[in-house]
Amino acid sequence: MGSFYSDHRTWLHAVSASLKLILLAIFGTALFVFDNTVVLLACTALCLLFFASLGRATLPARKLLTMVVAAGLLITAFHAYMQQPLLGLVSALRLLSASLLGIALMLTTRANDLLDVLESWLSPLNRFGIRSNALALQLALMLRFTEHFFIQWKRLDDAHRVRTGKSGGFKLLAPLTIRMLTSAQRVADALDLRLPP
Amino acid sequence: MTSSRSSGLAYVSLFAALVAVFGLIPKIDLPLGVPITLQTLGVMLAGCMLGPKKALQALLLFLAALALGLPLLSGGRGGLGVFVAPASGYLIGFPIGALATGLLMAYLPVSSPRRAAVSAFVASAVGGVLTIHICGVIGLVALAKLSWTQALWGTLVFVPGDLIKCVLCAIVVHSVARGLPDWRFGGRAFR
Amino acid sequence: MSDAMSPLAPCPIHMDQVRLVRGTTTVFDGLTLRLNESRIGLIGDNGAGKSSLFRLICGLDKPASGSVSVWGQDAQSRTAERAGRVGMMFQNPDDQIIFPTVEEELALSLSPNGLPRKVNCQQAREVLTARGLGHWAERAIGSLSQGQRQHVCWLALMIASPRSVLLDEPFSSLDLPGRTMLDVEILKASQQVIVSTHLLDHVRGFERVIWLDKGQVRADGNGASVCAAYEADVAARCQSQHLNID
Repeated sequence: MGSFYSDHRTWLHAVSASLKLILLAIFGTALFVFDNTVVLLACTALCLLFFASLGRATLPARKLLTMVVAAGLLITAFHAYMQQPLLGLVSALRLLSASLLGIALMLTTRANDLLDVLESWLSPLNRFGIRSNALALQLALMLRFTEHFFIQWKRLDDAHRVRTGKSGGFKLLAPLTIRMLTSAQRVADALDLRLPP
Repeated sequence: MTSSRSSGLAYVSLFAALVAVFGLIPKIDLPLGVPITLQTLGVMLAGCMLGPKKALQALLLFLAALALGLPLLSGGRGGLGVFVAPASGYLIGFPIGALATGLLMAYLPVSSPRRAAVSAFVASAVGGVLTIHICGVIGLVALAKLSWTQALWGTLVFVPGDLIKCVLCAIVVHSVARGLPDWRFGGRAFR
Repeated sequence: MSDAMSPLAPCPIHMDQVRLVRGTTTVFDGLTLRLNESRIGLIGDNGAGKSSLFRLICGLDKPASGSVSVWGQDAQSRTAERAGRVGMMFQNPDDQIIFPTVEEELALSLSPNGLPRKVNCQQAREVLTARGLGHWAERAIGSLSQGQRQHVCWLALMIASPRSVLLDEPFSSLDLPGRTMLDVEILKASQQVIVSTHLLDHVRGFERVIWLDKGQVRADGNGASVCAAYEADVAARCQSQHLNID
């Protein structure tokens, strides 16, 4: 889980996951409250500095960041074409800032720690019958199934190739779905024996 | 019997994974980050196969994973940033679209593979395409500050592609109805 | 019915006049078995009902009539202690393993205790260390071999301390070293172990082996003799099929 976690320790790694999540939520909301271009420019500059302070740890996310910047530029260009350049700038700045903060969180926090925080925040809901530790289980299951989709797809594709010489493509979607549905039932069985009632 | 709780858990996670898989397959994005992806197909399938309640859970799980930073939105996007992007209307449309598709599928006829396929097409066209595009347009107007006309024209471009996905969804439903004759669509299995 | 167990002691597994129907097929009819021995083998052709028998014992399937009781409780009862009564290991470890790291996977088996995940992870780590596998705690499941994954399934099963353990074709996906290690684990286990398998050598030494044929008990007794009888039957059937084709 969490392909963006960086092993290069930075100052942000030491900050607790819950604090980081809270601050992210506050700043993320603040970004939307302000419409003023100057304020947003300042915010973005701050975010950039903040991000840069992580140094080498930002390496895994370089590609992601490039895509975000590209998206921002496209937005600006589009709005400029529509003769609303400032609006475009505001949108792009918001996108960039929010992404920088989000990526910084991902780079410096273990997925497990994030899950623990979310579970403890959700635990008051236990009173209403919502299970807080179900979140980690569901996420783990989801990732497991995602991995398995690709494995099964490859197997079906290999079988198809061997018999027809060509790749299966979308024709494999239906048989793949059926396979995964039966697999899900087996997983449900195995799970049923281990979970509390 | 295997408890319905375990089954529910497994199937909800399965379809959240399906949407994620469609996002991980390389696809193109147009300006404003409006996606041409198969992910909406995942939303439609979730609605048709699981019904309203579980499909909604599946898409909410997907959004939760996205929020945690996993790069599951087409193009390798993830993290909280995607919820503030101009195209985030479409993203919020995912769970709503799944709910709508599921609701329709729950009440449309599914007694034979043919009927199920037709119902799936209708359910995914109305629930999947219409609903998601409405959400997307609202998002574009609110976040990207486009005018209603601009947003509407912008979104119409994708409708033909999405209708093809509805056909794909119907085909998959048809195959599942034949391959797993015991499967009850539209959430009837979970009632 | 006279037997050595006192009527008050909970019998490990007792099936009484069980009738199981799946779809339109009757899998079992009037099946009665008392499974008291500490090592029991289950053999028979595919489709004979071996997996169905296990599913009945675990409570995954409900009999149409008759009763299945495990350590004094009905197999269908879903109390928190069910994991402490019976556990099952499925054929394919990939169907079972859910979490990406070993310690989280073991912690899942402890979840009936209602404690937070962190606490259970800690306990899982302790169990691993006690077995000399402390370095496995944070390892990704994906980096383990098939045999190691099967071992993780075994540990996940054991950590819940069940009194009976069902293994459904556990050897089929393992290589020779993997099978040998599993044999050792089965030997060391203190609980009741019931193994269903096509690889007869692994159960030949068991004190009791049951041969299931189309939902009926065809033979039931000492491991060596039942296995030999089954092998002879299979050889005879293949011989007659061979003659028919010629």
